[in-house]
Amino acid sequence: MISQIGSIAISLAGGLIFSSFIFLGLFKKFNNQTYLQVAERAILATSYCIFLAFFCLLNELLISNFNLQYVAQYTSYETPVFYKVTALWAGQAGSLLFWSFITALFAVTYTFTTLKKLKTLKFHSYIILAFIFSFFILLSNFIANPFEPVSSDIIVQNGNGLNPLLQNFFMAIHPPILYVGFTGSAIIFIMALAASISKDISFEWVQSIRRWSLFVWTFLSAGIILGGYWAYNELGWGGYWAWDPVENSSLMPWLTLTAFIHSSMIQEKRGMLKKWNFLLATSTYILVILGTFITRSGVISSVHSFTAENLGPMFFAFLAILIFYTVFWFFKRKSYLDTPDKIDSFTSREGGFLYNNLILILMCFTIMWGTLFPILSEAWDGNKIYVGASYFNQLNIPIGLVLLFLMGIGPLLSWNYTSQSVLLNRFKLPLSVSFLSGIGYMIFSSLFQIYVFVAIMGVSFTLSSILGEFYKSYKKQKKASNFLHSIGKMFLSNRHKNGGYIVHIGIVLLFIGFIGRAFEVEKEFSLSPGEQIYFSNYVFKLNSIKSEARDNHYAFLSEIDVVDSSTNQLLVNLKPEKRIYFYWNSDPEKRQPHSELDIYSTIQKDIYSIFSGYDAQKNIGYFKIMINPLVNWVWIGGVLMVIGSLFAFWPSRRDN
Amino acid sequence: MNKVTTSTLIIFFLIAGWVFYLTNIKKDDSLTVRYYSISELASESNDIQKIKVGGYIKPNSIDISEYDQLEVSFFVYQNNDSVKVTYYGIRPDLFKDDAEVVVSGSYANSLISATELQTKCASRYEGDLKNIEKI
Repeated sequence: MISQIGSIAISLAGGLIFSSFIFLGLFKKFNNQTYLQVAERAILATSYCIFLAFFCLLNELLISNFNLQYVAQYTSYETPVFYKVTALWAGQAGSLLFWSFITALFAVTYTFTTLKKLKTLKFHSYIILAFIFSFFILLSNFIANPFEPVSSDIIVQNGNGLNPLLQNFFMAIHPPILYVGFTGSAIIFIMALAASISKDISFEWVQSIRRWSLFVWTFLSAGIILGGYWAYNELGWGGYWAWDPVENSSLMPWLTLTAFIHSSMIQEKRGMLKKWNFLLATSTYILVILGTFITRSGVISSVHSFTAENLGPMFFAFLAILIFYTVFWFFKRKSYLDTPDKIDSFTSREGGFLYNNLILILMCFTIMWGTLFPILSEAWDGNKIYVGASYFNQLNIPIGLVLLFLMGIGPLLSWNYTSQSVLLNRFKLPLSVSFLSGIGYMIFSSLFQIYVFVAIMGVSFTLSSILGEFYKSYKKQKKASNFLHSIGKMFLSNRHKNGGYIVHIGIVLLFIGFIGRAFEVEKEFSLSPGEQIYFSNYVFKLNSIKSEARDNHYAFLSEIDVVDSSTNQLLVNLKPEKRIYFYWNSDPEKRQPHSELDIYSTIQKDIYSIFSGYDAQKNIGYFKIMINPLVNWVWIGGVLMVIGSLFAFWPSRRDN
Repeated sequence: MNKVTTSTLIIFFLIAGWVFYLTNIKKDDSLTVRYYSISELASESNDIQKIKVGGYIKPNSIDISEYDQLEVSFFVYQNNDSVKVTYYGIRPDLFKDDAEVVVSGSYANSLISATELQTKCASRYEGDLKNIEKI
């Protein structure tokens, strides 16, 4: 019954969104406000239908209605409630409905907040919104319907259950967070187009689109970081970023959006760069769809598994229409978007932002080029050529280092123009700190690496520049009764600026984590209980391997003592496990092994242990140990980025 | 020429240089690797230093060394063609018959010596229905 309601709700949403086009057309023809109002209500009603369908599917998952194919495929009676909920986005059909659900949430928010203030954008906003909405509803109705029943000649006794790899808290929450970012970028796309088409780019519009951008950026960043955190803690290859097409697909829009957040500041302050900002705002969503096309079409080989239904052509057509529409309106509104003001000097804040934009776009282009290279090279001469992680690292590390320095240079520049004497004066402290730390590295490091050297200088330069700015603002303001209160007042005095600086400190910390990758070491070995091995200043002694049948898996439990060889003290007792899920299944093919890691994590380094195999006859365990320095700084930096961004996004009393 | 124009020109040439470099990465062996299909490789008689191949593990072809569990050989297939792969190291958890794999390494004497072995990650888990009973 509930599933039928859900199914009807999706069909109804399709009808309603179609009717919105008719009313928008009537409004265009007769210029009667009533039609626009009806179209608005049709879009809102579509959203409510999607909400209903979403909650119907949630209900079916929770009650384990295995008459639905989707429910039977992704859950079982044994699946914990939390993962029954997260199964909403575990498969193709569910994730598309989930995408529509978030679009619906944004459609309602956008209509009731932004469009209440910017009424002139309504018509064009609704056209684009309805088009985007209709695409996803179409997919849910005709290509991947989550309410599809199982074939009538079978009874499903129990569902498949959720893949054990996906039964991880961070894996469960990172897709929806990323989806919020992806879907939210549609609103930025809509706003940029609607304002340009209606020739109504106002100061309020710039402020509003900036707020949306910050919101979307927060979610994109959090989604990307959480994905890395899951991969590191669950997948067992010891890394958090592999330059896989799927990962790149989320990084590309993040880069253009980051560029937009900076350059729109110049538009806010000086009314410049309208054309450039139009391109950045629209390309963010276009890159999201390009990424989805790459992810769901299977045109590029990736370690991420793709779905059975081929959505490639659909997404390609959608992408082509978006690009065509954007390019068309860009040229049609070129003269409107032209701004007479030019940048006076490159040693100015806006000059700094421009450099930052160029670097970010260059990085995005380099990643896109590498990601699409197999397709491009195949189209060129028939040979499918892949670029490896070495391409991305070799090209992006120098670009990233320039960006790192720019983050420190930006705050030292004034708007319009910075004179040479002011420049010298402001650069004194960060430059000295940077040189000192570079020399320190040269003296104390046993292994000199040029990128590490430059990165250490960049980190200290930028950190001292930002902390110097904080100190200046602290000194400038009137002192409150106590120190903490003064600090709080200082931070609250300019949320946008200080939030931005917190984000920058977060990124600097990320770079500290990246530096650690240069010093990673790993070893694969086999041990029998009682044996030990020496590796990278530690002795690893295997105490025992035991086995245990648990609720939903069978586990081999190893116990390894890690002794610091310099002090001869026991550091930690690591317990990596080898688990076999579905072990009761008589067909060995259906059983699924899984290595449950154990990580000893400190602020300086992680000792990462994987129990990868067990030879029961010989009683030998196979292990992999990795020593990963500074990884925790990546997570700390990520958290700080999100906090800073939320801080900048949160409205202050002055904004209200 | 004022300062702004000079800077713009410098930036322009830097970007143009970068783009030119990117369009030529194909020639750089350290950064790129050619993807072969199994059928292409099955008919290839020359040795290839660097390759990447995708396919499925042929059922019952996994052969783990009796002396060292880290040593394995197996066949990767696609349609009717298959090619033998040897690999030394820890294998991914999802490594089993019919699993989809991406193998990188070198090719000589009709054999791939893999340096990297990846199975498709399970970010989507599209399986056929199990636990079913026909009416």
